[in-house]
Amino acid sequence: MDKHNQDQLLLDWQERVGAARQEQDPQSLLDMIPYSAFIGAQAKVDDQRLLYWLDKRASNIGNPSLPAIHGGVIGGFLELAAAIEIIYSLNVTDMPKVVDFSLDYLRPGRYKTIYASCEVMRQGRKLVNVSATAWQDDEQTPIATARCHFLI
Amino acid sequence: MAFDMTMALVRPALKYALERNGHGAALGFTLDKLERGETHLTFPYREDLVGNPITGVVHGGTIVSLLDTACGCSAMTVQRKPSVTPTMDLRLDYMRPAQPYKPIYVEAKVYRQSSNVIFCRGVAWQDDKENPIAHCVANFMKVDSKSIQFRSIALKKLRHLMPWRQPSVNDSEQK
Repeated sequence: MDKHNQDQLLLDWQERVGAARQEQDPQSLLDMIPYSAFIGAQAKVDDQRLLYWLDKRASNIGNPSLPAIHGGVIGGFLELAAAIEIIYSLNVTDMPKVVDFSLDYLRPGRYKTIYASCEVMRQGRKLVNVSATAWQDDEQTPIATARCHFLI
Repeated sequence: MAFDMTMALVRPALKYALERNGHGAALGFTLDKLERGETHLTFPYREDLVGNPITGVVHGGTIVSLLDTACGCSAMTVQRKPSVTPTMDLRLDYMRPAQPYKPIYVEAKVYRQSSNVIFCRGVAWQDDKENPIAHCVANFMKVDSKSIQFRSIALKKLRHLMPWRQPSVNDSEQK
């Protein structure tokens, strides 16, 4: 990809981020990222916070005998949610760079919709710490929690 | 090294299960090496897995999936009787940004096995193995999958035969 093309893409991206914030439409940010379409991640503004969800689809199954959602999909989904949370709610227009990602699996991810929400724990000048939680039936019984650091 | 009959039987089944089913098939990686407690895989670059639309780098979630698969596979095969191992946790450090249009190589190894937990680490690299793009540590539970399967099947049968019988507290326990 040449430099000029990349500058143009960056301008487009920044424009899209501004529009998404104004229209309260986090889904339009997800639509810009091909990986989110691959796993089927969606987002909306729900009661002062962002709610992300992942509808069940056959290509996300990790263990066909249960069936259970692939652990990597849950991880990728939470990482994606955390990045969108930063872009949408903090004053960041570039794509945040992930530095580390720590994921605890608490329960098996059954073959149904996964919900997630994120919380920015600390924002420094360079680093942001975000925690993300995923659940299926009940927010009180999470299936996974993640912490990640992003460079902004 | 002596010929390992179990691995000879498990290897093709596992390769098929991981490469042709569910998320593994969707990602499209190939398992290059499958030994007891060691897994190598190759992932070609794919445009529909991009996470940064400006630079074209694959999303971190792809690397999570690849390392989780490789570590999980190593943990499964390291046991005397290979069986399913649920992931307890996974920690991933991104050392450098991945480059677009280049394949990603992943290697995972079990480095310790205790009576209940399997400790595994993995690396992902592109050009140089000494300069990896990501490093991960993952821990897995050892479960006696056979007894769980038999138990749940037996319970299901029992409920079917005696629908009036309410499941007791013990029955509804998952583990």
